Amino acid sequence: MRVEYINPFVEAAFNVLREVLQSDVKRGELYLKSTSMPVMGVAAIVGLAGDVEGRVLFDMDKPTALKIASAMNNEELASFDDLAKATITELANMITAQAITKLHDLGFRFDLTPPAIFTGDNMEVSNADVEALIVPMETGHGKIEINVAVRERA
Amino acid sequence: MTAQTERETEAAESAKRAEKVDFKMITFSLAGKEYGVDIMNVKEIAKAGRFTYVPNASPFVRGVYNLRGEIISVIDLRIFFHLPAERKEEEALESLIILKIDEHVFGVIVDAIDKVVGIASVSIQPPHPIFGDINVKYIKGIVENGGKLYIILDVEKIFAPERAEDAPKAGPSDARGAPSPREAEAAVNAGAGGDISASFVKETLAAFRGFYVTGINEEWFAGRYAEWKAVRKDSDLQLKEASEADEFLEGFWSPDTGALWDDDYASAVEAALPPIEAKSINVWNPGCGKGYETWALACVMRKRYPDARIKIWANDSDLLAISMAPNMVFPESIPEYYRPFTAKGRNGLVFAQAVRDSIFFEFHDVMNANTLPPLDIILCRDMLSFVAPIDQKRLLGDFYDKLKPNGIVLCGASERLGEGWSPAGTGAVKAFRRDQ
Repeated sequence: MRVEYINPFVEAAFNVLREVLQSDVKRGELYLKSTSMPVMGVAAIVGLAGDVEGRVLFDMDKPTALKIASAMNNEELASFDDLAKATITELANMITAQAITKLHDLGFRFDLTPPAIFTGDNMEVSNADVEALIVPMETGHGKIEINVAVRERA
Repeated sequence: MTAQTERETEAAESAKRAEKVDFKMITFSLAGKEYGVDIMNVKEIAKAGRFTYVPNASPFVRGVYNLRGEIISVIDLRIFFHLPAERKEEEALESLIILKIDEHVFGVIVDAIDKVVGIASVSIQPPHPIFGDINVKYIKGIVENGGKLYIILDVEKIFAPERAEDAPKAGPSDARGAPSPREAEAAVNAGAGGDISASFVKETLAAFRGFYVTGINEEWFAGRYAEWKAVRKDSDLQLKEASEADEFLEGFWSPDTGALWDDDYASAVEAALPPIEAKSINVWNPGCGKGYETWALACVMRKRYPDARIKIWANDSDLLAISMAPNMVFPESIPEYYRPFTAKGRNGLVFAQAVRDSIFFEFHDVMNANTLPPLDIILCRDMLSFVAPIDQKRLLGDFYDKLKPNGIVLCGASERLGEGWSPAGTGAVKAFRRDQ
């Protein structure tokens, strides 16, 4: 993944999370991963197209997702219902969109596809031939892992 | 030997040696050789004879002995180690070392007990695999003291608790079960052409600097090692700290490694690059680090192939190093070669847009899959040697698969690609072409 793409995603995730959660957010150490990886329970995915192809995956466990959805809606959500799902989807959309806006300013043309959300236990994402950048974010409500896999269109 | 004399001997020894004494051993002779056992395993020493014969015991068990009311079994070390043992007179007194291992006490007959020797445990050298009479796994190490070499026996291993329990029945062959780690290690060392120091240096290079000696750099290593040996003499060959590893590697680096190539080297690379007819040229630069060499190559290629569309994929798994690469700013003192490709930036010289557009700096681990198109040139100077051997092999396979038929690999000055590659470099530029 091009070096220029990294910071916009990290910054966007940091800014958006801090804004919507109104709390401190810490960024973990970035690393690369290429094997199939388990998903913690809730995964929102946004596709990227344009000069590049790829996807951004937001991965968190259910209690974290519920707490974040509750915080964003300013009300206590009891179960991971449609509202909660829509909220997490929106969060994914906000972060990706902000990152892409930043990239646009740097001269990179990206489009994004509407986000989708997956929930369930023992899920695994496997596209072993794609190397993903993992951006771990520690929020007051739990950990979110942002998994970015982007490559130039050959 | 009384406690008094013991102390005297010890004092004399420590006076002789300025080193810190933290290991004491009882020394004895057996069939003309000097041995030692850790004093912590020795309960006492004694002279005794007329052992009570135990029927049906292993040949090395001379019998049992009444040591002040405690009945202990007595082992003849000569027979135990399959050394020739002369028949003694019935009444003769034997030198006996009474060992205590865990809760078990037994006597060991040796030829003569010498003295207590204090040594620094750091001075104990590992046993050599071709040691001789005694199986190497029974030996803790070897140490020099007062002009004599002592073989330190690992009595705990020899008389392991389960054997001591029924020592009269067990034979020495029982102890030859699974090979001990020491033995395995010794076998590895022996495999490396018998030169333990050389293999030790290889190990430490890997440990300190992640430098792996393989077919790629073996030639360089052999030469450098010979040099090192000549300078250091035989006594001080090993690399004891990272700075020594750096010193050893000094001659390894290619000219201008990790830096912008100077005018001479840049021109040399330009001359070494093969003619390429294609409209677009693809280059891969794995392990580009801070990216200086990538920029250098980009300029060299612009000059060599002015009409081609050049794409360079440069990647490194060190995010900190590579993150500065795309926006590098250079001082005015940049080598002349690059001047035509630069433009004035706010803080210094930057490379022209055309050069910038030709490079993709990527945060990427070469061990992960990538989707590079067929390549014309791979630049990997001084990089393969720092990849673990198994990954080196994979990476070379990857190079082979991804290169176009006439593609070349630019590698480090001290590196050679092996089978399947033929030299294609000129002068200071080392390059290899893929065999068809």
